[in-house]
Amino acid sequence: MALARLSKSITSRFPATSPCLTIWRQTCSYHSYEYVQPPPFPPAESAILSAAISHVPNYGFTSTALNLGARDAGYLEVSTNLLPRGVFDLINYHLVTQRLALKDTVQFPSEGEQGSAKKLGVGAKVRTLTLARLRANQPIIHRWQEALAVMAQPSYVPTSVAELARLADEIWFLAGDVSVDTSWYTKRASLSAIYSATEVFMTQDRSEEFTETEEFLDSRLNEVMKVGGFLGGLGEWLDYTGHSAVNILRSKGVRI
Amino acid sequence: MSLTLFSTTKALRSASRHSQFALFDFLAPSIVTSSQTIRASLFHSTTSPIEPLQNAQTSHPQSLQNEPSRKPLTQSQRDFLDSALRVNQAGELAAVLIYASQTPLVIRSHPHLRPLMQHMYDQEAGHFSTFNQLIAKHRVRPTLMYPVWKAAATALGWGTALMGREAAMACTEAVETEIGGHYNEQVRVLLDWAEKLEGRGEGSEELDGLLKELRRIRDEELEHLDHAVQNDAKSAEPYELLTNVIRGGCRTAIWISEKV
Repeated sequence: MALARLSKSITSRFPATSPCLTIWRQTCSYHSYEYVQPPPFPPAESAILSAAISHVPNYGFTSTALNLGARDAGYLEVSTNLLPRGVFDLINYHLVTQRLALKDTVQFPSEGEQGSAKKLGVGAKVRTLTLARLRANQPIIHRWQEALAVMAQPSYVPTSVAELARLADEIWFLAGDVSVDTSWYTKRASLSAIYSATEVFMTQDRSEEFTETEEFLDSRLNEVMKVGGFLGGLGEWLDYTGHSAVNILRSKGVRI
Repeated sequence: MSLTLFSTTKALRSASRHSQFALFDFLAPSIVTSSQTIRASLFHSTTSPIEPLQNAQTSHPQSLQNEPSRKPLTQSQRDFLDSALRVNQAGELAAVLIYASQTPLVIRSHPHLRPLMQHMYDQEAGHFSTFNQLIAKHRVRPTLMYPVWKAAATALGWGTALMGREAAMACTEAVETEIGGHYNEQVRVLLDWAEKLEGRGEGSEELDGLLKELRRIRDEELEHLDHAVQNDAKSAEPYELLTNVIRGGCRTAIWISEKV
């Protein structure tokens, strides 16, 4: 009886107690190809926020930008109360729309029409997509540190991290990665880390056309590839050694 | 004893028979061996070919144009499909590993079982690659317990094979009974959805395809169950204990894989 109650309380509490799991759950749910994805924001919100985004380069991620956006969209300034999280909603709008825009902004030639063109590997596609996403921050990069500060506020951290996880998932999916074992997790985690580091680096980058950011991204990706290759090789070696050990024992007549 | 078992298999099969879709599908069991004898490389990264993904992507815009006013899947439906596909992939991973680790020990003492073990292994490997493709295509998260299930399944297969042919077959019987019941539950839910969609006049190819795959795979799993019983699964030494422990383990693993 007590055991049943315990297991019940565990079941009911399971999703709530693990923010990490909740994040992955929000990130990925069955994706159907037969249905239209509903737009991420309701029309009124979308109108206000998209108008507000155009004021960000001048006024930053502030309530001023929101108010100006509401006015541009033909709403009263007070209608920004529609957005309970205020400035964070503006940042979130930028993150979500830029993530969803990735699949339209980056087009890879499909397998069939590659004639002489060299086939792009998954790694190269990931690099292209990540760069495209970073470039989408270009118009507002001088204001991005403010946004990062808002995202780091404790009450917004779960949403921000979940959005980062969704971005990593989107990039791997668009790059055509089909691994469905533990590497699914390590790939997304490492790309999330690389992306956020590069994003911070980009806010400090004063070079022409952000070439230093590009170099930074390349060296991070190379590091991860090296580590991943080493771990993969180690796993293969352990696997091989274990199998041969068992087979040697079997050939000696040991019944295992 | 074996009577009771056959009646359970019958019950499992007839559970989905009430619907018009499922009529007589048990009459065409999968003695027709699956064309997919793709040997999933067991211990390496399980990447699957990329074609289904791209076919799906190219057919995407057309289906959008044809039916712009379809109701999307609800969140609970998506969650169900999400955890169902995740569990199925984890289950097939375990099945492949169980057969792979049983085979050398079983055919050493009983060489006449070689074709049977090979046949069952090949079918499981086919199922595994089917679910790998489905999971990648529908962007479902694989289970976090992946390495744990790998170790547990290998240990289970190896351990039961050490106990002898009968224990190995009892293990197969216990696992396939649980899995068959699990697939049947999924088929029942999906049939319910399909009927509702038909009622609204919007049949879903995706759903029908998934149902067809699930039915085929369920039939093959239940065929393994019959093979196990024919090979003296019932005379395994602590039969009750062994099968109950394995079945309990299966149910726990299913429960965990649904969550994480």
